Amino acid sequence: MIKEDIEIKNKLGIHARPAALLAQEAGRYKSDILIAKDGMEINAKSIMGIMMLAAERGAKISLSVRGPDEEQAFLALKAVIKKICEEELGY
Amino acid sequence: MDILKGIPASPGIAIGPAYIVEHDGVYAERKEIPTAAVAQEVRRFQTAVARTLDDLDKGEIKVRELFGENYAQLMEAHKLILKDPMLTEGVVKKIETEHICAETALYAAVREISAGFENIKDEFFRERKFDVADVAKRVFENLTEKRHNKFAGIKEPSIVIAHNLYPSDTFRLKSKKVLGFATDIGGKTSHTALLAQSMQMPAVVGLSNAAAQIRAGDILVLDGQSGALIINPDDATLEIYKKYQGDFAKAEQSLKDISNLPNITKDGHKVLLYINYDPRRDTKEWDTFHSEGLGLLRTEFIFMDRPEPPTEEEQFAVYKKAVQRFGVRPVTIRLADLGGDKAADFGLARTETEDNPFMGCRGIRLFLKYPELMKTQMRAIIRAAAASHGQVNLMVPMVSGSGELAEVRKVFGEVLADMRARGAQPALPIQIGAMIEVPSAALTMDAVLPEADFVSIGTNDLIQYILAVDRVNQEVADLYDPYHPAVLRTINSVVQAARKKGRPVSVCGEMASDPEMVPFLIGAGVDILSVTPRMFLRIKNTLRNLNFKDCANLAQAAILLTSSEEIKKLKENYKTDEDNS
Repeated sequence: MIKEDIEIKNKLGIHARPAALLAQEAGRYKSDILIAKDGMEINAKSIMGIMMLAAERGAKISLSVRGPDEEQAFLALKAVIKKICEEELGY
Repeated sequence: MDILKGIPASPGIAIGPAYIVEHDGVYAERKEIPTAAVAQEVRRFQTAVARTLDDLDKGEIKVRELFGENYAQLMEAHKLILKDPMLTEGVVKKIETEHICAETALYAAVREISAGFENIKDEFFRERKFDVADVAKRVFENLTEKRHNKFAGIKEPSIVIAHNLYPSDTFRLKSKKVLGFATDIGGKTSHTALLAQSMQMPAVVGLSNAAAQIRAGDILVLDGQSGALIINPDDATLEIYKKYQGDFAKAEQSLKDISNLPNITKDGHKVLLYINYDPRRDTKEWDTFHSEGLGLLRTEFIFMDRPEPPTEEEQFAVYKKAVQRFGVRPVTIRLADLGGDKAADFGLARTETEDNPFMGCRGIRLFLKYPELMKTQMRAIIRAAAASHGQVNLMVPMVSGSGELAEVRKVFGEVLADMRARGAQPALPIQIGAMIEVPSAALTMDAVLPEADFVSIGTNDLIQYILAVDRVNQEVADLYDPYHPAVLRTINSVVQAARKKGRPVSVCGEMASDPEMVPFLIGAGVDILSVTPRMFLRIKNTLRNLNFKDCANLAQAAILLTSSEEIKKLKENYKTDEDNS
């Protein structure tokens, strides 16, 4: 299992579009992908779960991946989160 | 006779018997199943999900045809919800561990999910629970294989009364004998209300508990303009509403009759009628508006509800569609009028939270601070112009003086040179104009005009700034007054200054869409009125019944008066003269 804590840096946090992006990317892998925040843990393949997580700016989330393709999945998910945070800070 | 008051959602008057839609949704009595039947029950559920996905695919195509891209995206979101493991795996797990039937499991899963949504602070996300319920209901219907058609019982033209109508229901109303509908919940901007408007079906929403107070067959009067729902009206009331209904239909019809006639006053004075175009609301009906151009394309919506700015490609796609829609007619695209809060959303946050955003870093002020945002938009506009057969104009919002315009021209010159090198060559040179909405610009037109190819008066903000009134603030909203002499005098002097320099003047604020204010505007010499599509034919009708010479006299007399009361009185007298002639 791979696990890492990530801080959400963008103003809106994980909003509608990022939630869809994350769920779609997570759905491509066989591994179990979980995101936890403040004691709540959700399946990253679930768009509703991600929305309920309501990760705002400054939220610390913990991403954990376990399964046959955990390495690819972990890197891909981290890249998506990085993109979500960075694209906004790009200017 | 009882009168209920709700929120007017779609104009028009419907009179007819009530048809009550049973309160539906996902309801199931707990039914346990033998262990041996579990695998089969899971398959039954999965088949229902697959069928629902199929329905949504088919529905998406139909909805796109009938209602446009925006609503098709709603179906897309429903597909994501349907595929969500929280729903699919949640139900399967319940069947497998609790040995309950699929209906019971679905019911329980939806209840849990809805409870989760209730805790979300963000209203937009919280409201998605209705979408979850809509999706679950579709699965439920496929499970029971009884496609519960709640409108099947409608035998005669009726008014539908429901606790709630889902967008999927509203789509179905179109082909039925439905005169109008009323619901207990929902707001003016709910999907259901917007759909009713595009179907031109009278509707009232937000009635709280109408569904419980009305019996099937009660005679109802539904007034989609005031939001009233009258149960079993007495004869006198019924007569009044029948007359209203007739007047409404006649007015609608007479408006259609003039749609092919020219946009001129009774005495032959030409005024160009443009449209404030919103591509998200575009319908086939707009083809019948013989507008002479697009007077204001607000571009803020492309920047909304997203955490990063739209790319050049995304913007180009929107602008290209707009210029193509208008063919050889001129199209005016306004640089995004974003507030400082938007910059913060995009992570451009050097700006602190503003105490007074209307006086803060918005419109061109923001773009000059973050020129990359502006350049991207300019590039997209130049490419759209290169793909157009008509005149494309670029309009600058929140101009407070000539300096900003000069700066915009300089940046635009650089971007254009760069785009030319890349092969984008607009057929006609792009005109750059200023929104006149800040008093300092209105007072220094002699400085602004050399930098502006055209000007457009944004009356909403102009009035707000001249009168120092925030009209969203209930305490002072009554001070928001387009008849105020300061407002009419300012508009008049802006128009005179522009005409002296030979620059065209348009009005794109709400005043242009207000039949009462139009005489003042064209009387002052405004060349172009850019109106909201909903009011297009009505303003055209107003224009065609006015006398330009009288309007000119009215406008000139009005600026000599010292109070709005006097100006209104003057207008009333003018109206009487018109009626006598």
